[in-house]
Amino acid sequence: MPFEITIPRLGWSMEEGTFVRWLKKAGDFIQAGEAVFELEGEKAAQDIEAVDSGILRIPANAPQPGTIVAVGAVIGFLVAEGEATPTVGSSNPSSAAVNQASLPKPIALEPKVVEPVSAPAAAPSVRRLAREMGIKLASLEGSGPAGRITADDVRTPISKRPLTTTASAAPAHAAGVASPRARRVAGELGIDWRRLQGTGRDGRVRERDVRQAASGPDSGTPATVVSVSSRRRTISNRMMASRDRTAPVTLTTRVDATNLVSLRNQFKQAGSGGTIPSYTDIVVKLTTLALQQHPMLAVRDEADKWVIPEMPDGLHIGLAVDTDDGLVVPVVHGAGALGLFDLAKRTLGLIEKSRTGRLTVAEMQGAVFTITNLGAFGIDGFTPIINVPETAVLGLGRIRREPVVIDDQIVARDQMTLSLTFDHRIVDGAPAARFLQTVSQAIENPSAWLLRGEG
Amino acid sequence: MTSVSAASTYLGIYRTMQLIRQTEEELARCHQRGLIHGACHTYVGEEAIASSVCAHLRKEDVVFSTHRGHGHALAKGLPPSELIAELFGRQTGCSRGRGGSMHLFSPEVGMMGTSGIVGPCVLQACGGGYSFKMKKIDNVAVAFFGDGAVNNGAFHEGLNMASIWKLPVLFICENNQFATEVPFAYAAGNPSVGSRGVAYGLPGLTVDGNDAIELSRVASEAVERARSGGGPTLIECMTYRTRAHAEGMGDFGYRTREDVDGWKQRCPIQRLRTNCVAEKLISAADFDAVDAEIKKLVDEARRLAEAGPFPDPATATQHAYSESPRSSTTPIQNVRPAATVREITMTQATHEALSEEMAKNPLIFVMGEGIGKRGGNFMTTAGLYNIYGPTRLCDTPICERGFVGLACGAGMTGTRPVIDFMFADFVLDSVGEIVNQIAKMQYMSSGRLKMPVLLRGCIGIGHSAATHHSGNYYAMYAQIPGLKVVVPSSAYDAKGLFKHALNSDDPVLFLEHREILSIKGPVPEGEYEIEFGRANVVRSGRDVTVVALARMVHLTLSVCDELEKSGISVEVIDPRTVLPLDIETILQSVKKTGRLLVVDEGFAPCGFAVDVAAQVADRGFNDLDAPIKRINGAFTPTPYSPPLEKAVVPQSDDILKAIRDLMNE
Ligand SMILES: Cc1ncc(C[n+]2csc(CCOP(=O)(O)OP(=O)(O)O)c2C)c(N)n1
Ligand SMILES: [Mg+2]
Repeated sequence: MPFEITIPRLGWSMEEGTFVRWLKKAGDFIQAGEAVFELEGEKAAQDIEAVDSGILRIPANAPQPGTIVAVGAVIGFLVAEGEATPTVGSSNPSSAAVNQASLPKPIALEPKVVEPVSAPAAAPSVRRLAREMGIKLASLEGSGPAGRITADDVRTPISKRPLTTTASAAPAHAAGVASPRARRVAGELGIDWRRLQGTGRDGRVRERDVRQAASGPDSGTPATVVSVSSRRRTISNRMMASRDRTAPVTLTTRVDATNLVSLRNQFKQAGSGGTIPSYTDIVVKLTTLALQQHPMLAVRDEADKWVIPEMPDGLHIGLAVDTDDGLVVPVVHGAGALGLFDLAKRTLGLIEKSRTGRLTVAEMQGAVFTITNLGAFGIDGFTPIINVPETAVLGLGRIRREPVVIDDQIVARDQMTLSLTFDHRIVDGAPAARFLQTVSQAIENPSAWLLRGEG
Repeated sequence: MTSVSAASTYLGIYRTMQLIRQTEEELARCHQRGLIHGACHTYVGEEAIASSVCAHLRKEDVVFSTHRGHGHALAKGLPPSELIAELFGRQTGCSRGRGGSMHLFSPEVGMMGTSGIVGPCVLQACGGGYSFKMKKIDNVAVAFFGDGAVNNGAFHEGLNMASIWKLPVLFICENNQFATEVPFAYAAGNPSVGSRGVAYGLPGLTVDGNDAIELSRVASEAVERARSGGGPTLIECMTYRTRAHAEGMGDFGYRTREDVDGWKQRCPIQRLRTNCVAEKLISAADFDAVDAEIKKLVDEARRLAEAGPFPDPATATQHAYSESPRSSTTPIQNVRPAATVREITMTQATHEALSEEMAKNPLIFVMGEGIGKRGGNFMTTAGLYNIYGPTRLCDTPICERGFVGLACGAGMTGTRPVIDFMFADFVLDSVGEIVNQIAKMQYMSSGRLKMPVLLRGCIGIGHSAATHHSGNYYAMYAQIPGLKVVVPSSAYDAKGLFKHALNSDDPVLFLEHREILSIKGPVPEGEYEIEFGRANVVRSGRDVTVVALARMVHLTLSVCDELEKSGISVEVIDPRTVLPLDIETILQSVKKTGRLLVVDEGFAPCGFAVDVAAQVADRGFNDLDAPIKRINGAFTPTPYSPPLEKAVVPQSDDILKAIRDLMNE
């Protein structure tokens, strides 16, 4: 049986080499171990030894010196005396002769089938890019997996872009970025998240925005998107913080404000050009007296501890003030220690500053209790929101003369509704109700309470 | 020796040499024809050594070999068809196509592997010897290695360990005068390997490696000494390889054709034949009959090999880990029972686990520095020495690479080493043994060897331990297939996971954060195991998922109440094992919360947090309501001074802030 002479692999990764020359002549008898030809590999030329013995036969189509040959190629034969010389396989000897056919194919990984999503899928960065370039994602065809829009799809030159995506297309008035989760939930709830105003960083639409939209009225109709001032953003955050961190309960009661009204009238009549205390001022003062009897309602929830303020000096009262720019809550520092007239002067100044946007940060901090008055708008009862980290907020309704029954007589009296929201985590219903009772008593007999001084 | 038994011994050796020679020549032909896909180092010219040594071994004796190992495998009893099939990459190969020439395994005949790394076989043979000592059986272990290995630390550490513990080991150095192309005369300050035995207090000698008769005599004595408790022997065999370092490599850049031809004349096979015929011990006809028989055998082997199927590509990852069924009967209890009263520290917990398992399983032994009488630097083995003695609680010299390499060999031969390395930093000297040997052994041997090696020690930054006593290496090891990496955060987890490790057949790195070792936690009295790859939901919450390990679990928990007060509810997940990682539990949590923070004391690049983040970004993309955040230790060696140290470790404030930030995303 003839032995094939093949091109060996010299070193790890050689795939082909240069056939330099035969070291023996056709017809020579070759002993195993004798060098037969010279081959140049990756590093250097080498003499290649025969691994079998026999008479050297070199076929006519064997490689010429200097030609490139593939590893494994048959270039000659060693035959026994009288044995016929086979021809080199029909293929060119320089083509690879290693039998790769019998190697199993590597397993092909099946591409995963991904369900199409209604909103065009795109990574957040791609969405941002599209937004910056003023391109609507909805108008693009995604070339990524599962139709996902890639950065390249967004960047394709305008000329090559589908007509609807020209840069002149009006930029969407919607926000550009939504979290993946928000997009998923939007898909599930059938909401177009592009119309939503995101509350996340840089306006990112989050799950909560989508859910809120779903629970809100008619999220499907086009709406005007309102630009959000930083004041509004602050208010919004504080309201959410209150909702997230407190367990609010609101108590309402009706009080007889007849004496309050007459006291204020007396102040007015006696007025000497100075500040006349408003109803709110009087109630602020009375509330500080009531708080001294119910200190738990003045607790501040500071991170890991509940702090009761110093009485009366630490009784700083917040006053909700409506401004063109939204709600602000200036703080009457030391309201508990101030005389009513000083207090009135102070609140007037704070309200003035609030409306002109000149409140300092210090003037908005440190309150232990807040009072809000919606009486001017004809409101009676409502559910004020606790100004965290305080424990409670008192809402004042309008004062209205109404018929009431006193000693079986129908008489006209000034009536007012009080709405107290308190944090049930910190105080229970009964003590809160007792506090409200105290406030009511004070409002019903303001002169006596004011004259008596400290609660 | 009687002349009859001598004749049969020599004919046997001759037969083995011929088998090796003819198989190697067939392999050389196959290499030239492109049938061998990778490297092929032949043993031509050196056949006498393997053949004469193995002639004195029993099937249960074990051989650990090198890159030039075909001869050792054949001499130990590997059928040539399995060798050739392996080099052809076939399923019928001795390593099922997972190894090739440099990873030949046939534990069934005591062939414990050839190796692509020069050196470790010396240590693994010590491990084999240690197993036999543990089991009190008179088997021996043999390491075959080249002259290139004797200037490597493994040689030094291995010989010293074998000497002090009197291990039944033969160290056979095949000095063929070159390491690839570097002459031994250049590479060795002391060119006599045999004389080095003295330096380690063990017998060392130099013999003519081409003289089968002399080799047989010397090997027989050494084997006898080892079997009878006399300890190890170092034998330097002077020889020469008469083919290139590897097939396809040039041969005459560093030596001459004349040198090679000269050594071909000193062929050990011809020499034995000539001697025996001259002494009239064996007839030429008997030798011819052997030659013919071997030729048939090799032809048939090659034919069989080529007919063998290639392995199924779908099985490419099979055998990276043990598939043996759970043998322990201890109940699995992944979640701590609510009403647990007793409180112990993490160290007490693992101590309890170790002593319970040592009492049950006589194959478990502990090695480390000061773990004997002293009871361990961290009291990890306190009191056990008095119960189990110096073999099962073995104090080591300071040679981390040595005893970790030994542990590998011990695991391969059926004992269960626990390596206690105090600080994970120390064991970096042995990373080659862990990564190249311990981790890959089950795979290379296609699951026929087990690797029940538990490697334990401290990680973590704190108390000004500075940079050589504070590394967090879990991410590094978690990149290595074949390992399991446990990083417990509580006493309960530590005990259950430690017991599970002691009952598993995979190598486990058990990394204990030093700053939490003495924190007490509830641990029930009864026995239990915790499975690997099962995360613990340490605290459940609604808004943010925090994934943390070890001390970072404690730090995270310390801020949760405060966050809860401001309305942020945190879910804390401790994966407990970094490898395997329970990503499903993390994904489930993120599905609920939509936000993920990973707190990782280790370094950021290519690290633990990165991996968790990437997997969640991939598989949990549509659940994310905010970007994934990570906190990592600073990318710097650990400083000593307290304020500097504090600056490189994540602090609870960092976690607090990161969670708040995440809520605002
Ligand atoms: C740790 C390590 N370093 C380098 C190599 C690369 N290498 C493979 S074989 C070899 C020479 C080994 O010489 P020797 O131990 O004398 O064995 P021989 O090849 O002469 O039989 C080298 C350097 C390796 N495999 N392992
Ligand atoms: Mg060598």
